[in-house]
This record gives sequence, structure tokens and C-alpha cells, in this order.
Amino acid sequence: MDRWFPVARSEEVRPGHVFQTSLLGQEIAVWRGRSGAVNAWENRCPHRGVRLSIGEQIENELRCRYHGWRFASGSGQCTHIPSHPTQKPGAALCATAYSSTERYGYVWASLQPRDDVPSLPPEGSVAVAVTPPVEGAITTLRSVYVAASLEAVAERLLLGRVARLDAYTLVTEAYDTAGVDDAAVANIDSVYWLLQPLEPCATVIHGLVGKLIPAAQRLAGLRAYNARLIGVRDAVELAR
Amino acid sequence: MITLYDYELSGNCYKVRLLLHLLQVGFARREIDFHPGREHQSPWFLALNPLGQLPVLDDDGWILRDAQAILVYLAGRYDPTQRWCPREDAAGLATLVSWLSFADGLTATAGLARLHDTLFYAADIEQCRRGAHRALRVLDEHLWFAEQEGRQWICSREAPTIADIACFPTVMLSEEGGISRLPYPAIRRWTDRVRRLEGFVTMPGIF
Repeated sequence: MDRWFPVARSEEVRPGHVFQTSLLGQEIAVWRGRSGAVNAWENRCPHRGVRLSIGEQIENELRCRYHGWRFASGSGQCTHIPSHPTQKPGAALCATAYSSTERYGYVWASLQPRDDVPSLPPEGSVAVAVTPPVEGAITTLRSVYVAASLEAVAERLLLGRVARLDAYTLVTEAYDTAGVDDAAVANIDSVYWLLQPLEPCATVIHGLVGKLIPAAQRLAGLRAYNARLIGVRDAVELAR
Repeated sequence: MITLYDYELSGNCYKVRLLLHLLQVGFARREIDFHPGREHQSPWFLALNPLGQLPVLDDDGWILRDAQAILVYLAGRYDPTQRWCPREDAAGLATLVSWLSFADGLTATAGLARLHDTLFYAADIEQCRRGAHRALRVLDEHLWFAEQEGRQWICSREAPTIADIACFPTVMLSEEGGISRLPYPAIRRWTDRVRRLEGFVTMPGIF
């Protein structure tokens, strides 16, 4: 699938931690080197196949926990093999690095090489009047994991006042504020729902609100949206 | 002198060893042949703990069973700072105890799934895994919002408590019961934090 997918909220990819996720059945280790640049790698050490997500970030390298091989941020090139400390690892010894970038508060990855940037609304999306999110004026919600297919999740979301921009992207134009008693949720301009297919029967819903929720209401807003997404999740899973 | 009736591969025994190390309290281990010898069901052990469960703590001849109870005892008796089990306010203590019960729930689901897969225990494995995922979802959501509020641990803002120690082993061993932690990013960050505590020790499967 040649497109960008959000795979993690940027603030959850922190120095010293390797974020484990999956995209279309391919497990991915997402991590940030000391330089700040993000990496989305096949979650598999090329040496013995151990998950890199149990490894450790050290400076600008990821160290596999099994035999201590180190791989450079960016290229994935192996830089050090503890059992051969004086030899320079061959150029073929690389972690598989997928294209990755950051935008709109998310780390995005593509299993096919890409050199463009992700955009919202996505290119080629259906003609719906939506406000493009503006960097720095965004609130990203807690991403919710659903044990169901992407299509089942999308269908459920579409029961709300939601338009589908493309297969993986939906947008709420504005909540029907009648009956909504959460002040933090009412009067939102637009909310994008970005769907990440983990595998055929597992999907993540990433939610992006097109404004900065004021600090005083932020936590209540995050909780209110989370409760709604949990409701969506439970309904989809119950219907399976 | 503390003696711990212990089994190396038990998450409930490990959590007691972990707290003893974190508190820098010395202890002797009395290894029980849990598998395949079933020594925990032998007459002499049942005289010690009629429930036939590990771990059991012997502190100068005083006997205490139940992993969670042992954590409470050790924190109360051997932690001069009283940060591992703060008990000054009723609400805080009750919340902590609710997470100790939660840890027991993890043992009954994720822990049993692991015993099923590794030591061939009879269990409804799908029910175990469903129950484990339900609990892990609750923990992940709790920890995600804790982070948003600037808290790093299950209970208190500043420091870990025995609630973290009680939940940690079964969570870390979940994959041995076929329960992936991929859907729980906040849990994965929290387990990283526990592993970085000064005095942290490992067990087989947790490193």
C-alpha cells in the first residue's frame, strides 16, 4: 500500500523508548535518535530476528537487546558488532528502514519508499469542505485500538456526522452540539479520524482535533473524546 | 532473618524478590519444586500455607502468604521513607489496594494463560486472554491519562508504589501466554520506567 499512515503520536515516541506498532501486518519499531529524527523500522533485528522494540536507543543508534548489534538512525546501517569490535560491519548489514516523517502531531510511515509529505485532507479525497489542520493548532487524542477490521471501524464512525475523505481518513465537520453536555467537546471546528490498519482484524483510530484545546479544558476534552472512541470500539467489537 | 519460599519462574514470587532488592533488604531463598515436582502441594508445604500457593514469607518465624500481602508487609516494615506504601490518607491507601486486587485479576487471566501455554495447565485459554486484554485496556487507559496529568506511576505522582510492583511481572510475562502488548503503548512506556528503577532485578522472561 503506497501511502502514508500515522503510526504513533509524536509525543509518545520519546527518547529512550522504542514504540512498537504494526502496519498492514508488518510489525514496526518506531524510535527517535538523539538528533530528534524519527525512524520506522521493520521490527526485526537482521542478525537473529529478535524484535528491535525490546532494544534500547543509545545516542543516535538503536541497540538490539540480544547480541548488542547497533544500527544507525536514518539509514539503519549496522555500526557495531560487539563480538567483532574491530571490524566495520558490512554495508549489507542493515535494519530495514521504512520511509517515515512527522506531521500534524503524528509519526507517519509508509511500507513503500516515499519522498513527499503526508497531507490533510489527503490528496485525491472526495470533495467535502473541510478545514485543513494547521501545525501548532492541533490537539491529538488518545489513539484507540479496536479488534476489528478497518472497514468495520469506518462504517461505525460513518454513523455519526462524519464524511469519508478516502479509505483511511474520515472527518467530523462539526459535532451536533444538541445533547452534548461536554463544553470541551462542543464547538469544535473539525475532527479528523485517521485509521491505521494494524492487520486484517485490528485497527487504530487516531483522532486529530483541528484546534488547540485550551489548557484548562484539555484533560476534560481528551477524556470526553476518549469515552466516545471507547464507545465506538465497544460497539464495533460487539457487532463482530 | 527473612526467608522467601520461592519459585524462579513465578511472577508472584518475582515481585517479592524485586521489592526486596529495591528496598535493599537481604533475604534467603528456599526454592520450591513447583514444576514438575508440585512441592507446593506437598503436606509439609500445605502445613505452611493451606492454600498451596507461592510465595510464602518467613520473617523471623512469622509466616505470611499472598504476594500482595507480602508487598504490603515489606513496604510497611522495611521502607523507612514509607513511599512504597503510603498510608496517610484513606483514599490513597484504598486506591492502592484496588490496584493490588487488579494485579490479582491479571494473575487469574494473563498469568493463567501463561501457565496454560508454558506449564500445560488446564484453562479456557481464550477466556483467559480476553480477560487479560480487558484488564490491560483498563491499565493502559489509566496510565495514558496519568501521563497527561504528569504522573509516571500507577498511584502517586512522585514515586512508584507497591501497586506498580504488583502489576509489573504479569504484564511483562504476558507474551508467554500469547498476549501481545503492542496495543498498549502507555503500558510499554511504564514498564520501561519500572525497569529503570535503581535496584531493579530481572527474572527469566523479564530483562
